[in-house]
Amino acid sequence: MRSRIYTIIRGHFKSWYRSKSNIFWTIAFPLLLIVLFGAIFGSGSTKFDLYVQNQDLSGNVPTVLSQGYVHALNQTGAFNLHMVAAEQSDPLTFVKNDAQLHNRGQRLLVVPLGFNATVMSGKTATIQLFMDQSDQVSASLRGIVNSVTVSYAATIAGAPDNLVVQPVGIVTRNVRYIDFFIPGVIGMTLLTTGVFGAVNTNGRYRELKIIKKLATTPLSKIEWILGMVGYQMILATISLVVILFFGYAIFGVTVTIDIYTVGLVVAAALLFPGIGMVLANFVKEAESADAAANAITFPMMFLAGTFWPRETLPDIMKIIANFMPLTYVNDGLRDALIYAQPAQALTNTIIALGLAAFFIVLGSLLMNWKEE
Amino acid sequence: MSDPLAALLPGQSDRVVQVEGLSKKYGDNVAVNGISFNLTKGEVFAFLGPNGAGKTTTVEILECLRNPTGGRALVLGYDVSKRSDQAEIRKRIGVLPQDFNAIDRLTVRENIDYFGAMFKQQLDADKLIELVDLKDKRDAQFKTLSGGLKQRVGLAVSLVNDPAVVFLDEPTTGLDPRARRDVWGVIERLKGQGKTVFLTTHYMDEAEYLADIVSIIDHGQIIATGTPDQLIDTHGGKKTLIIRDAGQEGISQLPPGLPKAELRNAGDIAIPLNNGELTSILMSLAQTPLHDKEIEVRRPTLDDVFLNLTGRRVSEEGN
Ligand SMILES: Nc1ncnc2c1ncn2[C@@H]1O[C@H](COP(=O)(O)OP(=O)(O)O)[C@@H](O)[C@H]1O
Ligand SMILES: [Mg+2]
Repeated sequence: MRSRIYTIIRGHFKSWYRSKSNIFWTIAFPLLLIVLFGAIFGSGSTKFDLYVQNQDLSGNVPTVLSQGYVHALNQTGAFNLHMVAAEQSDPLTFVKNDAQLHNRGQRLLVVPLGFNATVMSGKTATIQLFMDQSDQVSASLRGIVNSVTVSYAATIAGAPDNLVVQPVGIVTRNVRYIDFFIPGVIGMTLLTTGVFGAVNTNGRYRELKIIKKLATTPLSKIEWILGMVGYQMILATISLVVILFFGYAIFGVTVTIDIYTVGLVVAAALLFPGIGMVLANFVKEAESADAAANAITFPMMFLAGTFWPRETLPDIMKIIANFMPLTYVNDGLRDALIYAQPAQALTNTIIALGLAAFFIVLGSLLMNWKEE
Repeated sequence: MSDPLAALLPGQSDRVVQVEGLSKKYGDNVAVNGISFNLTKGEVFAFLGPNGAGKTTTVEILECLRNPTGGRALVLGYDVSKRSDQAEIRKRIGVLPQDFNAIDRLTVRENIDYFGAMFKQQLDADKLIELVDLKDKRDAQFKTLSGGLKQRVGLAVSLVNDPAVVFLDEPTTGLDPRARRDVWGVIERLKGQGKTVFLTTHYMDEAEYLADIVSIIDHGQIIATGTPDQLIDTHGGKKTLIIRDAGQEGISQLPPGLPKAELRNAGDIAIPLNNGELTSILMSLAQTPLHDKEIEVRRPTLDDVFLNLTGRRVSEEGN
């Protein structure tokens, strides 16, 4: 005797791979998005991106010498300079987010407060250059910055040693937009396949009387739900593998797969079908349940930082994003796959698992197995 | 299998379904109002009634899908209201829900195996496919089938656990006449195999054609029960003599002393017949210009039974 749960999983899975539109939405569409977004945001220029924060203000205006130094950097034509406001108290974090958003290199040069005065008094001023040691362009970039600095010092004070560039290694990976985007696409795919899958198997199957028929057999509601969740786990794993493979093959995105990745996929395969089941039970007609699923998944996708970092959202949206279950899946996947930050990945995985338990239990309790 | 019914009701173990004073209320709406009936082993029993009469509610109580609000129902001797008994019932019954569809993207065979896997034992899928005449559609996906074929898949699925009783809820509703005939054919085959079948329908001809016993249900109450012949004899009214294509002119040519004739359809004359009058009427007709017309005697149908009992006709839509 074959197990009932296995039969249900196999039935869902066959129905899935025999539907072209299912294949499209779970596989082709995410890949299409990756190519599209990768192409739009991935076309870097040949110049080096360099963030510059000039802290040496007098009143609200940069001092003459500091301004002249930035100008000299710009004159080389080697850099795309991106100015960071002087009042930005945590310029490194700002650069990290902004660079990610615009797919730029994470490099920051800080002209310190008192630059003008120090140089005028003939003392040595230190300029800090934050960049990743593993940044492929680090050597050439540092070389250009050094030579500009030396010649600028020579010009203004006749003393090339008066200005020193102090390189500061930063530990963050130089995360490109595509690295950031890939986990988001995975999260998005888990969200849509989970919610729509559950709406389909619990809403449409009800309309077709398949659930009614099953309820007259020895099959129990728990077995039915386990079958659906098992199927979702298989689908989630396939999505993960396909997207990661594609990201690696086309964009060279390398990832770390660890226990948190597994935990997050398990959580997603419970959480999103759970949400779908809750929906299917509140909105009885399959058609309107579909619309409701759209209404829930689309805003969630955008708010949870699938396409852009949440830091770029208005404050009120940031607050709302905290209530989006997808936020924790996206963040957790990024922490685990890209940033290799186990501690943060753990927190997000635990939250995602908690939400998953809540929604799958709620969905199961709400689901009418017998009487309509 | 131990049979609790045999212990409870000695000598009556061939009672497959026993219903007594069964009621179901949805809020204030009384869908089933104290009905009682029995279904004996090997019988095809038809529950005949218009839409909203309470057929599905009754069947689904017997299938342990809904809880009765009053009365008692035993299926194979097990009480539908007892949790532990429900598990026993589910193993032993076959169900075709009203408007059932199998899984779209599974083939006929895969669907039979799918539902079969829900039971400990399942019949051979190929034998079932043969039974419902779907051999050449064996590997076709369900969604590609016509309505009639889909319904036959439903029938096969309902038989997959070799059930002791099969519940078919409006198995031919919405099918074209040919597809209906085909489904009837399958049900006749089940009857030939000695299966016990509980059928609901709003088609009078279906009940008349298939059923050993018919219960007519209306507004949640059973208004008559019996074999189709008994029902027709008791409630159908008189037979009718029809003279084809005689027209208005024909009425004036009728011999005197006949019951009041009426004109029907395209000029047929209909004359109500009392028992034993047929020969004398025919003899007197032979003397008139109508002697070369086509003549037939029409028996009342279950349609007439329903009309006589309720004052309404059941329309095609079942309303
Ligand atoms: N789940 C339900 N909730 C409330 N009323 C129902 C429900 N199911 C059926 N009814 C009502 O019960 C009556 C009988 O319905 P049903 O058993 O479906 O009749 P039939 O199958 O003979 O068409 C109808 O008036 C119907 O509206
Ligand atoms: Mg019905």
